[in-house]
Amino acid sequence: MLYNEPSPLEVKVVTRRFGKPDSEKIDTYLADEGYEAFKKTLTLTPEAIIDELKASSLRGRGGAGFPTGLKWSFVPRNTGKPAYIICNSDESEPGTCKDRLLMENDPHQLIEGMLIAGWTVRSPAGYIFIRGEYRYLIDIVDRAVAEAYERGFLGKNILGSGWDHDIYTHTGAGAYECGEESALLESLEGKRGIPRLKPPFPAVVGAFQCPTILNNCETFSAIPAIFRQGAEWFASLGPPKNGGTRMMCVSGHVNKPGVYELPLGFPLMRLINEVCGGMRNGKKLKAVIPGGSSSPCLRAEECDIGLDFDSIAKAKSMAGSGGIVVLDEDTDIVGLALRTIKFYQHESCGWCIPCREGTTWLKKILERYHGGGGREKDIDLIHEIAKGMFGRTFCALGDAAAMPTYTFIEKFRDEFEAYLQKSRPKQIPELALL
Amino acid sequence: MADLVTFTIDGRQVQAAPRTLLITAAKQAGIEIPAFCYYDGFSLQAACRMCLVEIEKTPKLQVACTTPVTEGMVVRTDSPQVAAARKGMLELLLTNHPLDCPVCDKGGECELQDMVFRYGAGESRFVETKQHVDERQWSPVVFYDKPRCILCYRCVRVCDEGLGVGALGVGDRGSASEIIPNRGDHLECDECGACIDICPVGALTSGTYRYQTRPWEMDHVGTICTFCSNGCKTTLGVRNGEITRANNRDKSGVNGEFLCVKGRYGFDFNHHPERLTAPLVRVNGKLAPASWAQALATVGKKFAEVKQRGGKFGVIGSNHTTNEENYYLQNFARQALGTSNIDHRRTGDVATLIDALHGHAGALATTADLYTTPAALIIGSDLSQQHPFLAWQLRANFRHHQAKVFAITSGPIREDRYAAKTMRAAEGEELTAVESFREHLAQQKSLVILFGDSIKGDAVRKLVAFGDSLGIPVSYVPLVDYSNSRGASDMGVLPDLLPGYHGVREAGLEPGLAYDAILSATDLDALYVVQENPFAKTPLASTGAFVVVQDLFLTETAERADVVLPAASAYEKAGTVTNVCGEVQKLKAGAKTMGAKTDLEIMGLISKEMGVSIGIWKHDTVFAEVRKSVPGYNVALPVVETGGAAPTFPVNGRVPLEDRPDLISSDRNTLFLSGTLGRYSKMLTSVLEYPGKLYGQPVETELEMKEAQNT
Amino acid sequence: MPPARSHGRFPGFVTLLRYTGRMAKLGEVLDSAVAIARGMTVTFKEMLNPPITEEYPDAPPIFEERFRGAHVLERDENGLEKCVACFLCAAACPVQCIYIEAAENTDQVRISGGERYAQVYNIDYNRCIFCGYCVEACPTDAITHGHGFELASADTSALVMRKEDMLRPLGAA
Repeated sequence: MLYNEPSPLEVKVVTRRFGKPDSEKIDTYLADEGYEAFKKTLTLTPEAIIDELKASSLRGRGGAGFPTGLKWSFVPRNTGKPAYIICNSDESEPGTCKDRLLMENDPHQLIEGMLIAGWTVRSPAGYIFIRGEYRYLIDIVDRAVAEAYERGFLGKNILGSGWDHDIYTHTGAGAYECGEESALLESLEGKRGIPRLKPPFPAVVGAFQCPTILNNCETFSAIPAIFRQGAEWFASLGPPKNGGTRMMCVSGHVNKPGVYELPLGFPLMRLINEVCGGMRNGKKLKAVIPGGSSSPCLRAEECDIGLDFDSIAKAKSMAGSGGIVVLDEDTDIVGLALRTIKFYQHESCGWCIPCREGTTWLKKILERYHGGGGREKDIDLIHEIAKGMFGRTFCALGDAAAMPTYTFIEKFRDEFEAYLQKSRPKQIPELALL
Repeated sequence: MADLVTFTIDGRQVQAAPRTLLITAAKQAGIEIPAFCYYDGFSLQAACRMCLVEIEKTPKLQVACTTPVTEGMVVRTDSPQVAAARKGMLELLLTNHPLDCPVCDKGGECELQDMVFRYGAGESRFVETKQHVDERQWSPVVFYDKPRCILCYRCVRVCDEGLGVGALGVGDRGSASEIIPNRGDHLECDECGACIDICPVGALTSGTYRYQTRPWEMDHVGTICTFCSNGCKTTLGVRNGEITRANNRDKSGVNGEFLCVKGRYGFDFNHHPERLTAPLVRVNGKLAPASWAQALATVGKKFAEVKQRGGKFGVIGSNHTTNEENYYLQNFARQALGTSNIDHRRTGDVATLIDALHGHAGALATTADLYTTPAALIIGSDLSQQHPFLAWQLRANFRHHQAKVFAITSGPIREDRYAAKTMRAAEGEELTAVESFREHLAQQKSLVILFGDSIKGDAVRKLVAFGDSLGIPVSYVPLVDYSNSRGASDMGVLPDLLPGYHGVREAGLEPGLAYDAILSATDLDALYVVQENPFAKTPLASTGAFVVVQDLFLTETAERADVVLPAASAYEKAGTVTNVCGEVQKLKAGAKTMGAKTDLEIMGLISKEMGVSIGIWKHDTVFAEVRKSVPGYNVALPVVETGGAAPTFPVNGRVPLEDRPDLISSDRNTLFLSGTLGRYSKMLTSVLEYPGKLYGQPVETELEMKEAQNT
Repeated sequence: MPPARSHGRFPGFVTLLRYTGRMAKLGEVLDSAVAIARGMTVTFKEMLNPPITEEYPDAPPIFEERFRGAHVLERDENGLEKCVACFLCAAACPVQCIYIEAAENTDQVRISGGERYAQVYNIDYNRCIFCGYCVEACPTDAITHGHGFELASADTSALVMRKEDMLRPLGAA
């Protein structure tokens, strides 16, 4: 099922089969050159597969944008231990809603991507870690897995290659933190979802202490296309080092919010104005959050950039998971900052001090500030606490909470100050706060 | 250690072994990097973020507790950025800390206090409300105050990794995260209290010490635990002559900071209301309080009279008294009373092992060896229950050096979980079973064998022969029960052996009556019992005998006595004790109980009353004599005097002993049982686990057995 | 008092009298009377002012607010003892004259506002030097210097004050 009208400007690669009847069934998938890419890779050596991936300049779609081919090449072979394939579908970043579409509309594409990864490292098993709230998707993916077993794409001696591979689905328990790869592994192993010490990275010591390929759902889904149509074709879709297309999840104050597949490097302003039909009610653009709630926001005047990993990084933000939130001129930035930090405070796993205590403190200040009890020095205090958290936490969740917060202050300090003027209740004396 | 890594820290060139963690390497160089969650010997957490340092060529601050030093690394711990990070981290920690230092037990020795004092900000900018959660009691000995907790996970690790219990975990998430016990609202564990000691703040507090006093108000007396034979150093916190707590935070002694429930909480027997504080003399068939002068005169007169008419004495020594007292006691028996009828409750066959090991030099393992040995074999003992410190050592050895542990026991034990190989065998049949381990054992570089009371007499000789046949260096630990069981044996509180395992015949004497014979003899004229409770199990056959008992409490034996003399406990006297591995350690007097005298003094005074001189009854004078005259006890005095453990080297020749395996049996104490002393410890008897389980089976207490007999 | 200048103010009048023979005697008398009156001005003036000396022991003495007298153990607004037995006063005391034994409050028996209270709180006034360090050290403002000063005793053992002796009576804030 699709949730929005496709746009004519889209370049459909991973979403090419979306909207077709029974697109989640294996028969329709096979009719659309399904599992052809996998069959092709069965004839290739692991080195050739990884080289092809490197040539495609596919980068991880989860958030960090790490080159996938390079990641796979880190997986040690001949360790005597099995290697595992894990698909991260624990999509929890506010603003992001692409994995659910991929699993809902084209689960076989994902399975094929995982099979290619599995074949590359001769893995005995793969796991699809699905966000707990996506309960309905498990049935869809389980059905697809069962179909793949029936047709001999999974199980013993797959397509006569002598290679055995199983795929299991696994649900998270509703923790944002478990989207972090090592916390996901802990959760998968049945432990408390807290991140692990790195190094060693999951590629070397991952699930069950074995080498592991851990990629995002969209990353795996993009792989069949690379082997079907060639790495060069894939790389040419985007700017250099940013191969392929990306599912952009646009939400916020635009006329046509939705998920659109666009090549990397697609201009942000064109996305808002052409693909999404412009700002809602003709309001002016105030800011854009370009990569899920954890990425620093861009002011309207900074939005004249292309949507690829490097351009967004140059604008001192990050492409993240592709959750683009468009904010119009009426947006209450203090309220937004509070809502954002509430989320991270709720989702902080509690492992390390700066994230656990920092998010809680920020939330408390912003709640008071938003409720009208703000003091002038709070603005600097919020900024300082967020800056103090940044780069000092155990995993990236602390950074994810700190970055938007201090960016809001840096870019919209005037709004914070105005808030102080207009809503400060007279009856709360300074002393009562101290 | 050939290739040291050279790195620069705060402008100083420093060398360290490769793969040393930065925090340790800095410490070696004399630079403190603060940390809460890092704890030597346990797994790395990197959770507290206090140890952030600046490393050249890395953009972010790095945690020193997980970063190994590398060649040419340039580290700064004194930059403004690092100082700001530490200050910020402490400010964050204090945002939800109640700051109730005036009532907090940890106040004065709190790591958070120290850190804030050194690195923190003077004022907090936190003006919001703090979360409050009520304090919870998890067991009679453990309380948890969530708001004070800084979540360093030390307690979780010491319980899981150190003790192998894993009774603590983390619950909830984010700022609501808290430590939770294994039974939801309460703990079921070893109740060792290691979590409390290791807690850097006052989140976990001790049931005995809570709100009693403050650390600077106490005298800290380092002595040796008087319960089991492991000989753990315990530092008593003494205020007004009363013990308020016991721990070993300074990691002195063989045990480092390890203590079990008995060591940490069992001390409360010492000021039990039923402690004897005045001598009792039987007048008209009833025990009545008397003065020391009266009581000693009564005993002296009676003993002198019995001796004069050539009457028959029996002397029963103790497993708890010091080496000096044991040495003095056998002197008293053999010289002052002129009898060889002296024995003690034997809980392990040390004498036979010493005999079987003739010609083997250095075949007795020390407690430190258990941490370094590549392999160990446990025979017939539930080690974690009966010898918790030895179990701790083996577990640490496995954790740090991947030691291979083998076990042959009659039931499941905790060591099964990490042991290389385990086997079940009925008691007495372990030696047949051990043959199936031969192949594995012979592959090890060296081996330590720990054996319980089921290996006795001939079995000990067979075991040593088995060890010899493996072709690898093998050393032994004969497991005995009590704090100075080993010393009682070494000091010749035996009918057939003099101190240092010399035969009595060497001194022109005949072996006297053994423990069972003393009790079953019908013609005893006088029985002298020092801190032992033989009548709890066997009544005295000689109904007419004059019985003198020295003890802390009115035990079953003391109730039958004609004169009861209140003795001082091990926490109230100086002297030395020998632990299960034959290491001599020094006791230091901490507590005081009015009216009680040390056994040494009592013996001296009785001999004085009898008009016999057997030497000065001062512990250091007696110890000097022990060092001179007992083979193997010529230990390095500086080591002992400074609180160290000096290994003994008992005779390396044949021991002219009379094999009496039937006399040897362990009391089967668990973590929560320890003969008479354990019965009088309120804390030990109050825990849910009391009396505990051996080999997974519930254990009956002495009292329960007695009650069952009576009904 | 300014120095007496007997001839300073009226030289003409006195000199005149001196030269008038019989009148000279009268002049001397008057002179003396003036001198006495002048000498007594301060006395007479002060006679009208209220006395500044204290009538102790007939009347209670008056102290400066910050006078450091015998200690008082304070109560909080609920009547509970402020002292939580943190031992900081004992630690600060330079003459070791404070002795405390702590005990734990229970739900049934609540003595102080904190978890802990002082079961025994003794100050040995044989040794106390009234330096005020204990008051400064107190984190809960439980111990204060009162204005009590009649501490002398022929019996030194009577100088060890117990908690009950020092505690502020209930209701007297």
